[in-house]
Formats: sequence, structure tokens, C-alpha cells
Amino acid sequence: MADKKSVGHAYNIDFLNVVFAASSIFMFVTTIMMVWDDYDREWKDYQRRFVQLEREVTQASLVAAQGVLDPAEVEQLRTERAQAAAELEASRAQVDELESQLDGVEALLYTTTQEYQGLKAVYDVERYEYEELVDQHPEDAEAERPRIEEMYEEWLALGLDVERQTAERDGIRDEISAFTMRVTEVDAELRALTGEVDRLSARVDDLQPSLVNDLVFNAPLLDFMAPTITVRQVITPNIVDDVNFTRVAKMDRCTTCHLAIDREGYEDYPQPFRTHSNLDAYVGSASPHPVQQYGCTVCHEGMGQSISFKHSSHTPGDLHVPHMTGDVDAHGEHAETSGDQTRAWKSDLGWEEPHLWDYPMLPTEMTEASCGKCHGGSVYVPEGPKLSEAYGLYERAGCYACHKSEGFEGLRNPGPDLTKISSKLEPEWVARWIRDPRAVKASTWMPRVWYNSNTSDPEDVARNEAEIDSVVAYLFENSEDHEFAVPDPRSGDAANGQQLVESVGCLACHITGDETRVEAGPRRTFGQPLQNIGNKTTYEWLYDWVRDPKHFSPDTYMPDMRLTEDEVRDVASYLVTLRGANGIEAPGTYTESDVTEALTDYYRAIVPTDEAVTTVAAMSSEEQKLELGRRVIGRYGCYSCHTISGFEDAQPIGIELSEEGTKLLPRFDFAFLHHEIPHMKVEWFKQKLRAPRSWDRSRELQPLEKLRMPNFGFSEEEVTLLTTAIMSFQSEVQPVASQMPRSARNDALDAGRNLSRRRNCISCHEIEDVGGEYQELVGDPALAPPLLTPEGAKVRPEWLYAFFRAPIPIRPWLDVRMPSFHLEDHDWNTALDYFGAVSDAIGPFRTHDASVSREVIDTGEELFDLLRCQQCHVLDSIPDDQPTDNLAPDLRMARERLQPDWIVDWLVAPLDIQPGTRMPMFWTEYPGSFYPQFDQDAIRQIESVRDYLLTFSGGPSPLTGN
Amino acid sequence: MDALKEFFNFFADPRAFFLLTVVALFVIVWKREAFSKDSVGYGILGFLAVFFAFGLTDENFRLIVAKPDNVPIVFLIFLVVFFTWFSIREGVRNDQRIARGEDPIEKDESDRVWVWPDLVYTELIALILCTAVLIVWSIGLEAPIEQPANAANTPNPSKAPWYFLGLQEMLVYFDPWLAGVLLPTFIIVGLMAIPYVDTNPKGNGYYTFAERKVEIVLFLFGFLILWNALIVLGTFLRGPNWNFFGPFEYWDIHKLEALTNVQLSDVIWVRMLGQPLPENMFVREIFGLLLSFAYVAVLPVVMAKMLKGYYEKLGPTRFYVTAVLFLMMMSLPVKMLTRWIFNLKYIVSLPEIFFNI
Repeated sequence: MADKKSVGHAYNIDFLNVVFAASSIFMFVTTIMMVWDDYDREWKDYQRRFVQLEREVTQASLVAAQGVLDPAEVEQLRTERAQAAAELEASRAQVDELESQLDGVEALLYTTTQEYQGLKAVYDVERYEYEELVDQHPEDAEAERPRIEEMYEEWLALGLDVERQTAERDGIRDEISAFTMRVTEVDAELRALTGEVDRLSARVDDLQPSLVNDLVFNAPLLDFMAPTITVRQVITPNIVDDVNFTRVAKMDRCTTCHLAIDREGYEDYPQPFRTHSNLDAYVGSASPHPVQQYGCTVCHEGMGQSISFKHSSHTPGDLHVPHMTGDVDAHGEHAETSGDQTRAWKSDLGWEEPHLWDYPMLPTEMTEASCGKCHGGSVYVPEGPKLSEAYGLYERAGCYACHKSEGFEGLRNPGPDLTKISSKLEPEWVARWIRDPRAVKASTWMPRVWYNSNTSDPEDVARNEAEIDSVVAYLFENSEDHEFAVPDPRSGDAANGQQLVESVGCLACHITGDETRVEAGPRRTFGQPLQNIGNKTTYEWLYDWVRDPKHFSPDTYMPDMRLTEDEVRDVASYLVTLRGANGIEAPGTYTESDVTEALTDYYRAIVPTDEAVTTVAAMSSEEQKLELGRRVIGRYGCYSCHTISGFEDAQPIGIELSEEGTKLLPRFDFAFLHHEIPHMKVEWFKQKLRAPRSWDRSRELQPLEKLRMPNFGFSEEEVTLLTTAIMSFQSEVQPVASQMPRSARNDALDAGRNLSRRRNCISCHEIEDVGGEYQELVGDPALAPPLLTPEGAKVRPEWLYAFFRAPIPIRPWLDVRMPSFHLEDHDWNTALDYFGAVSDAIGPFRTHDASVSREVIDTGEELFDLLRCQQCHVLDSIPDDQPTDNLAPDLRMARERLQPDWIVDWLVAPLDIQPGTRMPMFWTEYPGSFYPQFDQDAIRQIESVRDYLLTFSGGPSPLTGN
Repeated sequence: MDALKEFFNFFADPRAFFLLTVVALFVIVWKREAFSKDSVGYGILGFLAVFFAFGLTDENFRLIVAKPDNVPIVFLIFLVVFFTWFSIREGVRNDQRIARGEDPIEKDESDRVWVWPDLVYTELIALILCTAVLIVWSIGLEAPIEQPANAANTPNPSKAPWYFLGLQEMLVYFDPWLAGVLLPTFIIVGLMAIPYVDTNPKGNGYYTFAERKVEIVLFLFGFLILWNALIVLGTFLRGPNWNFFGPFEYWDIHKLEALTNVQLSDVIWVRMLGQPLPENMFVREIFGLLLSFAYVAVLPVVMAKMLKGYYEKLGPTRFYVTAVLFLMMMSLPVKMLTRWIFNLKYIVSLPEIFFNI
């Protein structure tokens, strides 16, 4: 600081030069890296590969199109064209002369038109100025007026010139085309013939590798101008993303890589180039959900804006889940998934568990869960077979009983009424049953409450047994008496009973064999499986139940099969012979002190410890047991599924699931399972369904702190379906414009689909291409319950209503019969409206003018005899020379039962209405006819047959109680 | 290997972490001549490098350290260690020269150099290198778009930007009013006041330690321990629910911390005097209020009496400003110690008027 030194250098400049050079090179290299990093994207590779692919596919279609082309026809047209051209050439001199005239006229017309338009523009300006003058200074206006008028005249004159010259030009053109017409015509024919081939070959040319595209349009730094490789996106104004503070239109860029998703012809190519698996319902431009309006992620979820495989949050279909031990009992088969796709994605595509997006893509098998976003509240969603199946399962498993779920309110209790248990069951049996229901009856829907993963230690045995016994004690103590309609009934013929059970239709809702729940499905286990029912209850009770189910349980869904007293005896005698496994023994015993201890625990949760101890001590051991039973039922929520005395007003114990599908991942607790199951919502649900209490693993919990969801022993298939159902419970995000429009017809469809599933109609009847499993049991469709899809158009509502209330045999030769359901009018009207809606014919009234002409009736009769309708159709007497599967309903019912219009449709094309019907198609020449009547007019002939049919009367009728 | 991880996890506990860094600082200052050896400096950096290399073999460690947001903090550790070592080494060398009666190294160097090339050229090189490094950084560490922000679903842990993590750590010990408003104001005002308070010309233009022992130690304490160490702690060791996690520990959201802290008023009235808390909040908090008053008003006076030399050198105004700033800085370690040793939550707790100390 003291004396100033001379100016020097702080650094060695030569060294700085080297550093500068090195850092500049470094900078240069990093800049290139930056450009390359920006340029080198995975989606561009997909697009490049797709160009090759598209070329192959287009080339193949081109070859196919060329194959279809008739070379002789093309050749002939070409020859014709050559001839026409030669003819034209012959008059070339005239044509040339005309064309030079045309040139002159066109040039003149062009200049005149220009002048005409220019003058109009000037005139408009002048006129405006004149008008302004008139308004502002009327005194000066008069002087200007002649000039304006003169301009207008001039403009009109020019207009006339234009018209004249145009006419002259058109005249010359017509003269020319008289010479060239033949050539033009042949050209058009040729184009029509080879158009497709030309289009395809032009496309193949477009798709040829192009150096210009590679080196200029798609080159790094130049690709901002007009690249052929571009990000593609769909913006959907009516489908939105919820970004929490507002909702914005979805922007899906999935088609950037999934390039052929809406094109046919790529079904067998690997992803991302594969065609959508259901173009008729989704994505396709003619489908109800075209990609331009609906995008992709509203169904599939994932981050639509992203064009990276990883960040768009793909989810593999086979996330690797290790085998969970502990909660899986002998009946549940929880095979490990292969995990091949997951592994391949990880190694090839850098996949990792999505955590940057709240709603990662659904595994493909669960995509239908998204239907719920717009089709909420329907138990059956058209084009969503998996979801419809999932809802069926969700209902049958009774999930809604504990977990409130929107759209599943007010349904029946999934389990039987227990208020009269003592007349039906023995306490020992009930204890064995609830210890492990599936050990008694493998196909049951009743879950296992005790001896699950968190209550299976040896030290849990005493408490489990104390609780089980207390519950049984409570149920029997609070059981009402039941008065059997027929005390000590005589026994019947079991063999005949079996025959009845297997033929009248019991098997539509009940299984008697060894089928598992998965094999039988939710519809055929709609009623309690009957396996082992002989161990369960007594002949007296079975007799009483079969005779009239509502006598024991007024709210039961079980319909009346209208069996005779003898038949009831036979059926009950058969059912008591169904015997099997008797469940598992108690693995240990308990003492009274275990009951006291358990009850004290329950009390301590609500009153101070001292009070709990003294209260419990004050009870007798019997009282303790009953009170413990009451507490245990309350804790496990048994009353959610079963009607139990003392729990009439209790609330279900599970959490509400109405919006579970939109709940965010951080709201889910993975406890110590975080290393075992993927950190994803669907996997959480699956784990919960597979092993509901596995969250307690490694945890130190007091008995009342333990999880209590029981184990249903779901198969992996059921787990996936139920997860799909849960994922479909979504909060309302999508705007009304995207929802299914409300209309009387849609409402009727919704309500009817719900009813037909909730009363299990579709186990017997096929409606809207779904259901009718009973047909498989019968074997022959002609002997099965009828197809109901056309019912609304076919049957008169007043007849159907009467039939519902008191079914009569339509085809008496059938074994299976329509039961009496005894539904409310409200439900019957729902069914009638539903059938009407399916046929698009809601409402009871139809115009029909009965024919009064004798001639028509007579012709009808003539045809009726000619076509030998009576050979199969009953007309009072059942034809005895026909096999039963050929027989058809009594035609005397037609007038009351059938819609006159429908009879016509039916006679025209029975197979269109009911595929597989034995009814022949008589008017194969429709609208012409083989038969001479009415000048071979099929319609009039058919109407005459119809009118003849409508003269019959006196058949069986539900209306008159005949 | 696991034992080693357990060992590191143990010392990553905030108490151990804080005490270790404080001890390390005083060892550095005390044994600065040994510390300034090249072998020690490179040895420490080498140890850190080995530690991180070892750590990256662990899944949990890798997850936190390799997170793109956290990578700069790894650089920060190396840079701060290097520059601390470098400045101490230069200071020690100059101190030795001064002790021998020589000028500091910087005096021997020319203090006049050319604008071109010495200044502008080096600036240009620095500019190029910074740009290039930023480009490499942005290519290497991706910053993808995440899910839309959701007020009902905030991240856990919610962390401030890295440079504010020291402040966020203070929230553990102080009322937000103090940690978020008052103390940051003191930090800014204090930094601005330094040139006016510290008029000692020694050390201008050259490295030294011996000539400015107290100032340097105070600065290092504030900068290294109370700022950088807390940033490192907040970045790598604070997990879900702001709970503490060792570097090799899984960030389990279920980990619990026993919240058994008590107020000073509880300690005095209930535990020591054996009577219930007074109704009136000011009477209840009287001891805490007196203590706080003593801390900011009486303690400077006591310090003035004890540190007569400084008091005379600085004059009353400068001394009091310095003393108050010092006490404010020390309030954080004081609060930490009272929390760790006495489980003390607040010295003054007036939730009725939203005021706690």
C-alpha cells in the first residue's frame, strides 16, 4: 500500500490464452450438446420409424388395390381415350383457332373487369363524401349531385361490357368443349376407376425417404420452420383437466407417438404404432368418442401434455407384486404377476413408478374405470363390459354395505336377516361358520372376520374364540321366534326335488355343485350358494323357506316359484341332502377372564378405566358375554350386511368410497408395506382387497387398534375388477357438455339396467346383448328363458304389466318358469319403460286400425294355412308331432299380448329380431313375395296374416286371470 | 457396512450435528496451523468425496443426494470446505510472515495490473466457463413438469428454497414472527452495519487470522454453523413432517418425534414453585419477560463492563450495536441448547396475543 509499484500482470498471459482457448472449446462443445439434446427426442424416433411403417402398410394397400383393379377395363378405357384424343387431333386447326379467340376475349374481359371494380371503389368513396356533405352542408350538396350520378351511370355501362364479354367467352368455351368432351369424359371414368390406386401411390411417393426433409426441414436448428416431424396434439374444449384452482381444456399429445391409433390396418404392429383395440366405440371418427373431441387421457389418465414415455406416466399391466404371505388363505390364489413388461419398460424405456403426476395411466385392463367420469350413476355402462362386470361384483360382494358409495344407495342387505336366527341355525354351526366361512362353503361371499393376518398369532386364539362365542350368544339371545307355516312337514321325494331344482330355474341364482365363486360369477351366486345347506339348517326351515321365502324374511329378493305343496316337499327334501365340509375346529379355548378382559378393553375406549372395570365386574358372566357380543358386532360392522336386532340405526363402518378414484396418492398409507407394493393407488387397492389387514404387519397394536376389514378371499381376477370399480368412483370434474345427455329415454335405460341387474333378471334373460347365463344350463336356446331385447316393441305394456304381477305359462312345455317377484308398481313401471327405451318405443299407446275387410281376413287365413303356422304354434292344443324345441306360443294370445306393428316386423325378418329363432323367414323375397295374393305385395300379405291372427281369442291371459 | 451407516446416522442427529460442527470450528481455529497444511485440506476434501461415493451405494442416500434440486448443495459442501480451508491457510501464512516481521504476501504483489488483459480477459473466461457449466448442468439434471399445484395437497416435507433453509430451520426453535421477520431483519441490518461498526483497518487487502481473531471466529460461526450447516441439514436431513432422518435412513412418513417440550412458565411456576399457572398472562410470563429483557438490555451492559478493552476501542454506540447484533445471532444456539437440554419450548409464551419468544 505504501509505494506504488509499476504496472504488472496478475496472470501469465500465455497461460490465460490457453485457458481461454480451452474454455471456448468447452463452450462450443456444450453448445453443440445443448442443440443435440434439444433435437434428440424419443418421439422423433417413433415418427421416423412410423414413416417406414406407413410406407409398408400403404404399399401393401396399394398392391391390394391394384389387385382389385381389372386391367382389361383400364386398358379399354385407355384405348378409348387414345381414340378420343386422335379425333380431337383431327380437328386441331379449328380448336387452335377457337383457343386463340378465347385468349383475346379473356384478356379483354380481364381489363374490363379491373376497370369495373376500380370504378366501383372510387364511386363508393365519392358517394360517401357526397352523403356526408348532404348531412353536414346540405346547401353545397346539390352542386355535387350530377357528378355522382354521372359516375354511377358510367359504372353501370362498364358492368354491361363485362357481362357481354363474359357471354362471348362462355360461347367460345362451349364450342371448344364440343370437340374435347369425349376426352374429358373418358378421363373422368378412368379417374373413378383408378382413383384409390392413384391416391395410394401418391402417398407412397410422399413417404419415400427424402434428403430435403432430413437435411433441411427436420435438421437441428432449422426444424422450427416447416418440419415434417412434429408434435401432434388434440385440444378438447369439453373435456377438462382439473388444475385445482381452475379447469382447463385437456391437451393430449399422445398421438405424437401413437400415430396409428385412429387408423385401421395397424392392429398387429407393436406399440406405440398399434391401432386402438376398439375403434367402433372409441377414438375412431365415427365412434361416439372421437379422439378429436375426447382426447386420450380422460379415459387412460396420465399426463397428456408430456411427450416423454416416462413423464407421461405410463403404467405397465403387470407391476411386479411379491407374493404376500400371511393374509392369503388356502382358497385365495394370489399368483405373482410375470412382471415381464415392467422389467422390459425399466430397462428399455427408463420407466419408473410415476410420481410427477397425480393420476398416472390406468393399467389397460382397468381403463374402463374412467367411464364413471361421464357415465356416473349407471351400474351398467354400454361398451364398458369390464366395468359393468366390476359393478356387478361390487354389488354382489356387498362392498356398498360398509362403504357408502354414490349410485349404490338403498340396496338390499347383502347378507341374510339374522333376527330369527334361532329357528334356522344352531349356535355350534354359526361359530364354525364365522370362524372361517369359506371352510364351510368355498363359494360364499361371507368374508372371514377372525383369524386374519393380524389375529392369527397363538396368543390371539383365546380372544378370537371369546369374541366368536359372544357374537353367537348375542345373536341367539336376541333372536325372535319364527312360526313355521307348516309345523313338522312330511318329507318328500329328494330325487324329484333335485330334478325340480335343476329345471324350474333355481340354478339361475343358486349353485348347488362345487363351482367356485369365480367360476359361477356374481349372477349365479346372486342367491346364497346352496352347497352344504343340509349341514346348515333343518328340513322344517327349508320347507318353510321354499314354500314362501317372504314368510321368513319379508324383505328377501327371493321370488316365489309357485311350487305346489308336493313340489315344495320334494325340493326341501333334496336340499337337506346337500352336505359337505363342516368348517374348522376352534384351535384353542378361552376362559371367562378372556371375556372379561376383552369387554373391559371395549369399555375403556368409552369410559374411564376404573368405571370400565367396575361396570364389567358388576355383570354376570352371561351378561358379559352378551355385551361383548354386542360390542364385537358393533366393531366389525356385522349389521352392515345382516339385519341384527339392536343395530337398526347403526351407521356402516367403512369409509365412503364415492370419490375414492380421485383421492390423491399421499392420502394413502403404505405403512411398512412401502417396500413391498409399488407406490401406486391401484396397487394399494389391490393389496387392500387381497390382504385387507396386512397394514398391521410389524406393528405393535392393542386389540382394538387393529384393522378390522374382513378377508373375502378374492381371486386376483376379482381383485382387479373391484379395483376397477373403486377407481371409477370419481369426483365430478368434467363439464355437463361432456356427459351423457339427460333424456327420458336415457333415464329409463339407466333405471331399467339397474333394476334388471339388481333383481338378477339378466341371469335368465339376455337383454341388450348381456346376460342369459341360464341358457348355458339348458343347452337349447329354444328351451331357455326368452331374449328380452325386443320386448318393448313386441309386447303390449298392459299385458306385460299383468304378466309381471301374475305370470302365466307362455310356453307350457318349458320346465323353467318365470317366478312371481311381487315387486312394487314403481319397479314394474321401471321395467316397462326400460323395455320401451331399449326398443325406442316408450309409452303404452300405439295406433292400430283393425282391418274390417273380409277379403283381407280371408286372405290372411289362406296364407296362415298355406304357411302352416299351426304346425309349430299352439292354437288351443299343443301340436303333438313336434319336438318341444320346435313349439311356439299359443297364437290366441297375440291380440292381447303383441303389438300389431311388431307382428309385421317379426314376420318380415324374425332372425333380425331374435338371432337363432326357429321361426322361418317366409318372405325371403321381401318386399316381393312368392305367394300370389295381393299382386305379390309382401307387406299387404303380412298385414293380412297379422289381421287374421288378431281375430283369435280365448287364449291364456294374465289380464283376465285365465 | 450397516454399522458404518448407523454410525453416520447417529451423528446426523441435529444435536450431534450442531455440536460437531461447533467443535470442528473451534478445532479449526485452535489448530489452524495444522489445518492449513495441504495434506489436511486435500485430506478433508478426499474424505468427503469418499463419503459421498460410499453413500451413493445406499438407496436412501442416493435418492436424496442425487435429487436434481439437491445436487447444488453437494457442490456447496465441497466449495465451502475448500474456501474455508484456503482462507485459513492464507491467513496462517501471512500471520507467520507478519510474526517474522515481513509484509503479507499480497503486499509483495503488484497492486496495479492492466485492465486488458488482466481484468477483462479473466472476466470473459469466467463468463464463458459459467455459461458452459450452466448448460451442462441443465442438460444433465432434468427439471420435468410436475402435477398441478394443489393447496389441499402440499408436499411433505415442504421445503424453502435452499438458501432459506437456515431460516426455515430457525422455525423449529422460534415463533414464526421472530424466525420469519425479526431475525432476518437483524441479519440484513447487521450485515449492512458491519462497515460502520468494524472500523479496524487491519486485514484490508490481505488474508490474516491473528490480527482479527474475534471478528473472524464470529463471522465463521455465523456463516458456517448458523447458515451453511443449517442449509445442509435442512436439505439432506429433514424429511417428512420436518422430522429428522439420518443420511442412510428411509424417509418414513410415520416416523414420530415425541413432542414433550414445555414453556418456561411451566418450569418455574409448576415444577419449581409447585403452584398452578397464574391467570394473568403477564404475571404468568413474568420470568420469561424479565429474562428476555435482561438478555437484550442488561447483558450488553455487563459485557461492556467485562470487555473494557473493546468498549473503549469501539465507543458506546458501536459497542452496543455490536453487542445486540451478537446477542441476536447467539439467540439461535441459546434457544437450541435450552430446547435440547431443558426441553424448553418458549421462554415467553403469550399465545393470547400471538407472541412467543
